[in-house]
Amino acid sequence: MSFELNRKLAAKRSALPTGANIDPVSASIIRGAFETICFEAATHLGRAASSPIINSSNERNAAIVDAQGRLAMGAIGTPHLTFVNQMMVRWALMNMEAYDIGPGDVLLSNDPEYGGGHLPDYCVYAPVFDDAGELILFQTLQAHQGDTGGKDPGGFTLEATDIYTEGVSYPCLKLVHRGEKRRDVIHMLERNNRFATFGGDLAAMIGGVQQAAVKLQTMIRTQGSDMVKAAINHAISHSEKRMREEVSRWRDGVYEATVLIDHDTVGTRDVKVHVECRIKGDKLTVDLTGTDDRQTLVGVWNTFANSRSYVMTQVGAAIDPSIDKNEGLFDAVEIIIPEGCIAQPPPGKPAALGSFHPACEITEAVCLALSQVVPERAAPQLYKIGMPNAVMGFDANGMMWMDQGVDCRSMDSSAVQGIDGWGSCPVSLGNLLLSEAEDAETRFPILNISREMKTDGGGAGQWRGAPGSLNVKTVLAPTMAVAWMVSADHPLRGMCGGDDAIPYTNHFEVGSPNEYKIERTAQAQLPAGATIAYQHGGGAGFGPAILRDPEAVKEDVLDEYVSLGAAREKYGVVLTGSLEEYDLAVDVEATAALRRDMRGALAAE
Amino acid sequence: MGFRVGIDIGGTFTDFAFLKGADVIVHKNLSTPEDRSIGVMNGLGKLAEKEGLSLRDFLAQCDAIVHATTVADNTLIEMNGALTGLITTEGFRDEIEYRRGFKEDIWDVRLAPPKQITPRRRRLTVSERVLFNGEVHKKLDDESVRIACRKLRKQNVTSVAVSLLFSFVNPAHERRIGEIIAEEMPGAAISLSHQVLPRGPEFDRTSTTVVNAYIAPPVTAYIERLAGRLKENGYARQLLVMQANGGVMTKEYIDGAPIRVLASGPVGGVVGSAHVGSAKGYPNLLCVDLGGTSYDMSLVLNGSAPAEAGWNMHHRYLIGVPMVKVETLGAGGGSICHVQGGALHVGPASAGSVPGPICYGKGGAQPTITDALVMLGILSTDEGFAGGSFSLKHEGVAEAFQKIGEQMGYSAEDAAFDCWRVVNANMSQGVRRTTAAQGGVEPQSLTMLAYGGNGPAFAAIQADDLGITRVLVPKASPSFSALGTLVANPSIDEERSYVARANALDTARLKDLWTELGNRAEKYFADASFGREEIIANYQLNLRYAGQNFALTFDLKWNGKLHDLSFVDENIGARAIALFNERHLAEYNHIREHELPEVIGVRLASHVVTPSPVVASGFTAPRIAATPGKMRRANLGRGFAETPIFFGGDLTPGHEITGPAIIQEVFTTIVAYPGWRVLVDDAGDYELTRI
Repeated sequence: MSFELNRKLAAKRSALPTGANIDPVSASIIRGAFETICFEAATHLGRAASSPIINSSNERNAAIVDAQGRLAMGAIGTPHLTFVNQMMVRWALMNMEAYDIGPGDVLLSNDPEYGGGHLPDYCVYAPVFDDAGELILFQTLQAHQGDTGGKDPGGFTLEATDIYTEGVSYPCLKLVHRGEKRRDVIHMLERNNRFATFGGDLAAMIGGVQQAAVKLQTMIRTQGSDMVKAAINHAISHSEKRMREEVSRWRDGVYEATVLIDHDTVGTRDVKVHVECRIKGDKLTVDLTGTDDRQTLVGVWNTFANSRSYVMTQVGAAIDPSIDKNEGLFDAVEIIIPEGCIAQPPPGKPAALGSFHPACEITEAVCLALSQVVPERAAPQLYKIGMPNAVMGFDANGMMWMDQGVDCRSMDSSAVQGIDGWGSCPVSLGNLLLSEAEDAETRFPILNISREMKTDGGGAGQWRGAPGSLNVKTVLAPTMAVAWMVSADHPLRGMCGGDDAIPYTNHFEVGSPNEYKIERTAQAQLPAGATIAYQHGGGAGFGPAILRDPEAVKEDVLDEYVSLGAAREKYGVVLTGSLEEYDLAVDVEATAALRRDMRGALAAE
Repeated sequence: MGFRVGIDIGGTFTDFAFLKGADVIVHKNLSTPEDRSIGVMNGLGKLAEKEGLSLRDFLAQCDAIVHATTVADNTLIEMNGALTGLITTEGFRDEIEYRRGFKEDIWDVRLAPPKQITPRRRRLTVSERVLFNGEVHKKLDDESVRIACRKLRKQNVTSVAVSLLFSFVNPAHERRIGEIIAEEMPGAAISLSHQVLPRGPEFDRTSTTVVNAYIAPPVTAYIERLAGRLKENGYARQLLVMQANGGVMTKEYIDGAPIRVLASGPVGGVVGSAHVGSAKGYPNLLCVDLGGTSYDMSLVLNGSAPAEAGWNMHHRYLIGVPMVKVETLGAGGGSICHVQGGALHVGPASAGSVPGPICYGKGGAQPTITDALVMLGILSTDEGFAGGSFSLKHEGVAEAFQKIGEQMGYSAEDAAFDCWRVVNANMSQGVRRTTAAQGGVEPQSLTMLAYGGNGPAFAAIQADDLGITRVLVPKASPSFSALGTLVANPSIDEERSYVARANALDTARLKDLWTELGNRAEKYFADASFGREEIIANYQLNLRYAGQNFALTFDLKWNGKLHDLSFVDENIGARAIALFNERHLAEYNHIREHELPEVIGVRLASHVVTPSPVVASGFTAPRIAATPGKMRRANLGRGFAETPIFFGGDLTPGHEITGPAIIQEVFTTIVAYPGWRVLVDDAGDYELTRI
């Protein structure tokens, strides 16, 4: 709604008032119980929901937010959702009386300007009071919805210039009042959604938070509210302490990084994200000053809460993974996001696509900056794909179908010091399950042709990125296809001297006289038999390629991750023998000589 | 009736349960890791000796020898399986490496990849393509298969997995590839995905087939070796092997897909629990097995251990065959207590059995849960431990907890007590996650059955935390897994793909598929000397709403006869939809009124009933308060106090003990926490109830 509201929502919160002293073990036991309740809520949702994005792909999150609006437990789910939900709860906390929020209520928020991420990320949450009527905490449950009632199915409108085009926003809507479902409200929500399965998903979310709220209430009764509050305070201050300890081990200094997005959805080039990480003692400041603020940009606006979340997702990847993800991290790190830039948009801007870009360039820039101090954990947590190629059409009964294109693939899996990039995606996306050809072809009129990794398709380096895959599919019926291409001019950046990943490319109607390359965006009608081919960028490399162990390069060539040519040209490794005969060997002397020359050439540059 | 012997091989001990008439005789000897069949033969020799028979005469009198093996799991732990190759559809070489995007820890950027069974150089593709409806889109190019075989041969591959798209709908191409491999790579083991796991989607099937190919040669060789030794020594019947689905089957059947024995190790205990619990009138159980390194949790519902296929990750590979769900937490007697980042942690690292906990006196220097129990006075250092094989020692234990206490700011005893609290909390959370993941069962509706050497020491306090009011501790609990193999029935559980709208089923096709599955069951049961009339058949369908990734499985005909398919003509579509709706509502809380489910698979779960040990139950013996053997200073959660110690050998049916108290059994220690009463039932087993 306003920058002033953002400032209020982001303001540091004080601890919960309690007279209890708690020992670390009791605090840890209560924290463990919180985590399990979140696990149960997330599992309930996963089992009960109808849409694949929730029940198969796991794009959901359960968390506990305390009565001060602090993230008490980061729980089970996708990291970027974990760090957003407390902002939405804070708006509800500011309006407890105005909205008559009380025991037994269940609320819904998704408003990008009231603490939310993009519109599809619904947050359903319930306040939990103790027997004396004191508000102690909230159980929240978030999940990405398939539709938001805007102009286009799915809510991603390439040319949207305002939020209203994308769908309906709810700052805080009461779904259940004192235990009674508000049927009029729920009906209105269902009426504003294209998917028949939405009602079931919403019911599953409400059921999940209600069950969890009952368990939390029992726990508060058994342990006593003062002890529970003390446990939350302990968990948050403990995470803050450990975060600060990590930072104090990092070298003091100012570390900058700039990352560019090829263009916005209307072709404005080189959209910039700039990050400065300042480290002094145990204090880390992440400052996005210098990030693009051209008000004419289209599609590349990331909500304030989401930008904070993506900063924290990357900071969270840079620290000991055993540190609990809660408000303590925000207490330990100062995040500065200039008002009006693409990471804190003015009111009214669209939000859907910004959750991809610049959100991911924020993590990339934070990673690049921190790679100078924590190289051992410098692996960017992102997806550089503009958006997956979504294809949609109508079946014989006139029903719409949509293949969202979240196919099995390899992309953006960068190396980190000591470990080559591997698998399909960065770890922060590792609880998503990607779609398989046999499921998709059984449901949609498409034929998957190939999903293989491209040789030399990742950034070279002392540790190399995983090669990106080339996903090729043919549509068997006339379909509409939507695409947004980025990361072609500015692919994923290498770390500490590692090479960048390869550029993304996307072609429609491949092999026909009408074949064309998607330069920016597409909203195309494809005839039956048309083939589309999406080359995903691979992961980027870490460290200079000429420092890679030549034996590892030989193994890469045998596995066709790396070609013989690239072994020589990028890695300076000369191999003898034949790939066909599996008898490659490193020519040690020739390799040493070649690498000497390459180092010389580098030095001359 | 002849003898029946159940055998379970653990890391340290091989357990035997010998059923002679109505009696069960238990035996234990050391495992022989270099060739585990030697330990088996040693134990059988001992049993024969106890019977006053030669091994030959003993084996000749055996009706059944039933065996649970961990060879498959050990192969994956040590990653020393066959040199394996994969042949797949062109364009799909790398799906196995993508793992559908799954990574085990979403915060650890330093998580290393799992070791690849089939690195990219040994994943080769062939020119062919089958569509979702089984139609051949591109004919198999034989020459491309021969080229792939030559490449694999050059790399000395000895086992080949073949997984083509939609082979579970039309397996012709996979079959042909199997023939060509046999020609081009004589002697190589072949695993065809439509035989190992005939269902989609492709990652699940390919992963299962690849693991099958990897473990098949060692598993087959091991079972062959053991069967050979048994035969040489006079055993004339089939060796039966435990499967992860809770049933046993013959070597010939297992050879078809050895993956079925993977993760079967803990299943015997669950099957044994189901048998004992049901006999005692408690058909809904939470089974907990706390051993040296892990805490295994599983559910028994309505008297049986449900086997489920789904997202079963084992050793970082997805295994899609049905398995009895056993969740494992890295918390056991050997779990190491340590301080990290200012917080106290227990496990998952374990001191194992060598050097083991400090109190074993075998050189262990890090404090473990067993050490904490010694510190708390729960375990005795006066009497023998683990069946009297050695005694626990105090030396070094207090000093180790002192170090923890110094970091946490309190005494050694407080440190040991906090370790006990932490492991308790970890176990409670583990149980809640297990019950949540298995249909949201509420723990308080269950009876807890505790076994394993360390389980009964924690059972009642766990139960308190979970709201459970009854705990069973069978006297035979330490050898429960071997007993379970005796209880498990021979069973075959297989499926075939069939995709159709539930209101448009082709009954002729259904009958063909069930007949095919019935013929297989009949053949393999006949090999095991069971007649057709003995086979009990459960005819099942897998249904889901289009778009869902996992199907629900339910019976269309329960306890039917083999080849009696008359139920198919009884309005099967409408019945399937009604049953699906009922299950979907129960499992997922809703049904979709505007959608019809689709059938995606046809299953036949068949078994025969074999004799099981009879379990006594009831409390007919007169109740008498038991007299403690001695007193010891112990902390059972409420501070140190003189606590009565009872000896299992002194207790008989009808004996009653009120907590706080400790019962020292031969292989385990049972703790009656304050608020709990222990009663010895007519079988001599312990029933703990909340007062």
